[in-house]
Amino acid sequence: MKFQVDQDAFADAVAWAARTLPTRPSIPVLGGILLTADDDGLVISSFDYEVSASATTAATIARGGRGLVSGRLLAEITRSLPSQPVDVELDGTRVVLRCGSTRFTLPTLPIEEYPTLPALPPRAGTVAADSFATAANQVAIAAGRDDTLPILTGVRIELDGEIVTLAATDRYRLAVRELRWQPARPDITAAALVPARTLGEVARSLTGGAQVEIFLSFDQPGGETLIGFAGRGTSGERQTTTRLIDGEYVKYRSLFPSETAARAHVATTPFIEAVKRVSLVAPRNVPVRLTFHRDQLLLEAGSGEEAQASEWLDATFDGEEELTIAFNPSYLLDGLGAVDSEIVHLDFTSPNKPAILRGGKDADQPMDDYRYLLMPVRLGG
Amino acid sequence: MSVFAEVVGQDAVTELLASVARRARENGDGLTHAWLFAGPPGCGRSIAARAFAAALHCRSPDGVGCGRCHECRTVLAGSHPDVVVVRPAGLSLGVAEARELVARAALAPTVSRWQVVIVEDADRLTEGAANVLLKAIEEPAPRTIWLLCVPSPHDLVPTIRSRCRLVTLRTPNPHAIAQVLIERDGIEPELATAAARAASGHIGRARRLATDAQARARRRAVLDAAAQLAGAPTLAESLRIAAELVDAATAEAGEETETRDAAEAAALREALGVEAGSGGRRPRGSAGAFRDLEARQKSRATRTQRDALDRILGDLAAFFRDVLVLQLSGTEDAVANVDVLSAIRASAGRSTRTDTLRRLEAIMECRAAIEANANPLIAFEAMAIALSDSGGRTSG
Repeated sequence: MKFQVDQDAFADAVAWAARTLPTRPSIPVLGGILLTADDDGLVISSFDYEVSASATTAATIARGGRGLVSGRLLAEITRSLPSQPVDVELDGTRVVLRCGSTRFTLPTLPIEEYPTLPALPPRAGTVAADSFATAANQVAIAAGRDDTLPILTGVRIELDGEIVTLAATDRYRLAVRELRWQPARPDITAAALVPARTLGEVARSLTGGAQVEIFLSFDQPGGETLIGFAGRGTSGERQTTTRLIDGEYVKYRSLFPSETAARAHVATTPFIEAVKRVSLVAPRNVPVRLTFHRDQLLLEAGSGEEAQASEWLDATFDGEEELTIAFNPSYLLDGLGAVDSEIVHLDFTSPNKPAILRGGKDADQPMDDYRYLLMPVRLGG
Repeated sequence: MSVFAEVVGQDAVTELLASVARRARENGDGLTHAWLFAGPPGCGRSIAARAFAAALHCRSPDGVGCGRCHECRTVLAGSHPDVVVVRPAGLSLGVAEARELVARAALAPTVSRWQVVIVEDADRLTEGAANVLLKAIEEPAPRTIWLLCVPSPHDLVPTIRSRCRLVTLRTPNPHAIAQVLIERDGIEPELATAAARAASGHIGRARRLATDAQARARRRAVLDAAAQLAGAPTLAESLRIAAELVDAATAEAGEETETRDAAEAAALREALGVEAGSGGRRPRGSAGAFRDLEARQKSRATRTQRDALDRILGDLAAFFRDVLVLQLSGTEDAVANVDVLSAIRASAGRSTRTDTLRRLEAIMECRAAIEANANPLIAFEAMAIALSDSGGRTSG
């Protein structure tokens, strides 16, 4: 293996593949990054049995071949090299790296022990990179973090014709985002449960290009086992696959209440700031109480002998009589942050039933593409 | 060679597992999702579990568990992506590891129809860890199969036990073990037979005794110590013998630990790209990996020493077991340690059955004390005094 590559492109591709390197590799070779040089250019890949990542970058290949070197070390070296062409050569059991007058010699790891990277499943369609990253983040916040309830640590991705739906819930809130895409087949229907942490990171890392391709396998008897994403990075093609969580997902669509008793809309930024201020006196998991009047909203936290806070905000409320409802402040803030618009619309049924948060450009028109369902905290007495 | 050939002297079990794997391949589902492999130490329960995993993944057209296809070979080598093997190297398997395992077990298989999670030594699960696993074992992901290995079903909390299908392995008989040693490892028949008898049904131990002269010497030293203790030594002598036994175990464990630790640290350094030597700079974020490794190694060193002590106790118990056999039956056919027959005979003549039972009990008490974190030397001294106390004297 012998090739020459531009330093910026090399550092960028290595950094991208190194993102998914396990911090504590279960077997030592998994801490390695695989360099593959062939006619198509240079492919830089990493794999930890769960997530695989490979980055392609243009390089002048003098001699094809493969080499496995420590991923962390390679990432640090490439990042700190001067901005000049880098020459890389496999010399026996070592990889020699030259850049200007700098020279590194790295030992190689046993390549025959390295697992084969999974192939990409069939292509399912294409989605705009930016909106996919936004959607993934909007939904991933609602995913559970408790590993002992693995199903809830995933983001459900449903492909149905021209609509992609992303959903996640941890039983206290549910986030659902719909977006349009270009499916590979107009009649496509498929679903997958992707680990939320991985999805958020992958979507963010693929915003270098305009579009992200989604790959999903359907050929297994029990359904899909692997999902793949591909996009363009700053210096070439980026591909990643991740194993899916196995199991049946919550039937979340039926959780949205069928009727609405009261509605309100509030300017998002002042609302977020007020919740943050008031919840200063509410230690972890102590609820913030919201009382909606016709033109105003009262936020309160704390009670009895403890520290208390309250704040009045401008709001528009449309309901029979005033309504008091309480929420976990951090869950409320997650939702307010995720609606991603100037005005937030809130729909209520009763103080003991979930509320729905939606964004909207103006006061009359809530947008339906993102919905955040939030369970209230029951007020005692 | 079938993957089940590795499972020695367990015909009923291998037949059952092979037929289950065959049916699972034909039907595609209906496979029990949690299995409990129970059998005495050294009977090959984790080998049986691994063979079962290989049989489930096998893609050979001529029957399940061919042992030749890529799937079978990678499962047995421990590098199959859909087989997770958890081998608690330390004293226990804690909650943090259990949580990771639950997350891993929830994933869909990558290349196979099933993902198999094998927990060797599941008896080392802490109570908290067992509770974390309970839900995942009770209702695993649709394509995840759990195989738990324990010495006895009662080593697991009943909540988990009751959710598993039990596969009971028996102590393999010495002839079967000797056969394997002769056929596969090319051991001289005479040596193989002696090793198989001396190991009292522990396959790994039999192989070690047959292939490692040092291990044979260590065992012989322990048996000689047993004979000495049974010969009513003075108090000072008993204490000296106890100290020697503990020292031998420490030395053996130390040797084993040192070479293994150094090799692991070197492999990790290479993978993380840390230069060798004390001046080597560590890339960011790698210090944690080393701390982890060191903690793991420390816990394992304790266990390695405990295992060495346990082997000594096993050999001591085997000696007095033989004494008891002579006292009860009067025939020498069932004696395991034939190489020290004269000492066994002498001890059998000098003591009563009650004495022998009491001595065996003292050995078991010592084992329990060490399991409960007692200082090994003190536990061994207490045992040595109990062993050297012949029936004539009153204890005290």
